[in-house]
Amino acid sequence: MRILAIETAVIEVGVALADETGPLASVTARPGRRQAETLHPAIADLLRIAEIAPSQLDAIAVDIGPGLFTGLRVGVATAKALAGALGLPVVTATSLEVLVAACPSAFGMVVPVVDMRRGEVAWTMPASPEPGFRVGAPGELAAELAALAAEGAGPVLLVGDGALFHRGLLEGATTPAPVFAGPELAAPPVASLAVLAIAAMRNGTCCDPAEVGALYGREADARINWTTREAREAVSQ
Amino acid sequence: MNQRGRILGIETSCDETAAAVVDQGRTVVSSVVSSQVDLHARYGGVVPELAGRAHVELALPVVTDALQGAGLDRRGRSFEDLEGPLGIDAVAATIGPGLIGALLVGVSTAKAFALAWGVPFVGVNHLEGHLYAAMLEAPELELPVVVLLVSGGHTLLVALDAPGSYRVLGATVDDAAGEAFDKVARYLGLGYPGGPEIDRLARSGDSSLIRFPRASTAGALDFSFSGLKTSVVSYVRAHREVANADVAASFQEAVVDVLVAKSLAAADEIGARGACLAGGVAANSSLRQRFGEAFAARGMMSYLPSRAMCTDNAAMIAAAGYFQLERSGPTPLDAGAVPDLQLRSSK
Ligand SMILES: [Zn+2]
Repeated sequence: MRILAIETAVIEVGVALADETGPLASVTARPGRRQAETLHPAIADLLRIAEIAPSQLDAIAVDIGPGLFTGLRVGVATAKALAGALGLPVVTATSLEVLVAACPSAFGMVVPVVDMRRGEVAWTMPASPEPGFRVGAPGELAAELAALAAEGAGPVLLVGDGALFHRGLLEGATTPAPVFAGPELAAPPVASLAVLAIAAMRNGTCCDPAEVGALYGREADARINWTTREAREAVSQ
Repeated sequence: MNQRGRILGIETSCDETAAAVVDQGRTVVSSVVSSQVDLHARYGGVVPELAGRAHVELALPVVTDALQGAGLDRRGRSFEDLEGPLGIDAVAATIGPGLIGALLVGVSTAKAFALAWGVPFVGVNHLEGHLYAAMLEAPELELPVVVLLVSGGHTLLVALDAPGSYRVLGATVDDAAGEAFDKVARYLGLGYPGGPEIDRLARSGDSSLIRFPRASTAGALDFSFSGLKTSVVSYVRAHREVANADVAASFQEAVVDVLVAKSLAAADEIGARGACLAGGVAANSSLRQRFGEAFAARGMMSYLPSRAMCTDNAAMIAAAGYFQLERSGPTPLDAGAVPDLQLRSSK
């Protein structure tokens, strides 16, 4: 069982290969906005380093968000096409699930926080009865952390670029202050996604690539002002 | 590339998700276009973020349909022999011009197919694709031809000397022809998209009622339409009683006059064997009729692609990809999308 994992949802472009024994190889970069320029050469390099042909893969894994829209589109479109072209299933995970999976299991309470731009973050609370994730201002997250602490919960580990970005605000949310993971966990580590995907494949939790979509976490902004309309006209064919 | 030269083309530059399979840049094996026009109509224009999201959903199903139309499964293998050899020799996609978020979906999809199959990727200029639209429908077409490429974003006169070899003879110095149609349609309170609305309304109007200016430009084969748009606005302000149909017909007449006259001049200049229309505005009924008549009167052939071939499609991208691969080889996998890519004369 060999899985190729693709991570472009947050601030890194990462690709990794894993089998039942764990990660085999990975390539990671922070290419700014150049996700589409970086991802495909990284996949080609990864396969060459690991001496694996595309036809020797058994599944494709992809982080479907929430995160940054452009990166998500590049990663999800690539995963769907690779899996389609190779006749493989796709394993999906959210950016928040991958961040939690990357943290030491000894740390009980992990809250993953992904920056969504426009002053918003996405997060999940530990043992939350609601499925999915929340999107809101960092102040709302701080209030939820304070409520959790008031219930007598132990220390909380905050992980992800959203936590680092709003550290000043979140540090004051509870006494004692929450613990912050380092910048190496700012983006979901692609090797953790690959390991999660191996476990998912064992449980048969995968789907056809045609069914895979991105979780943007926010509706598209459909207001068009005059400037963007002009820009649209300059390119519409 | 092997003898067959079978290219999978992908086009996602604006609001159409399209895929096609074309042999040797000439024979369309299959072509699928999924339009998002209904998705954007209520906003009066293409919403880039909505377009990008729709392309992510549609790219794989549309490519799958195009492959199926060529007798291939999603893995590029013949349905008759699912373990047989790959049925595609290269994958081409539009890299620009267009909306960045839309282009990236097609580029990512095409590079992934090429990588998975171990075949070349070719990044194609969308405007070059339009040059081959007429050729795909008229295999008897003899080069060189003049191509008048008219769309919402572009007005270009191009000499197509040989497949993959072309010269830009003239371009608009301000608005594109389709842009002028859209702006006048919006001013007259017509629907979106504006071009077909003007075309429809003009049929019941008097095209000789108002004599709008035919702008002259420094370059003999260049175009200018912004003055025309302005004079339509000032005319309607000064003549509130004028019928929309007469304004539409007179405006359209002015645009078509200029487009046809400069196409004829371009054909004379390069000694063309014929002339082709291309681009979305090439669906305009008055332009098609007048263009055809004008070249026939000179004893020259004119090629008017079907409506489906005038508007954005992936067959033309696959054709451009074939000729580009023959002349300049594959595009590296680290190529990105270029939203403001220009069409420049080939070397
Ligand atoms: Zn076009």
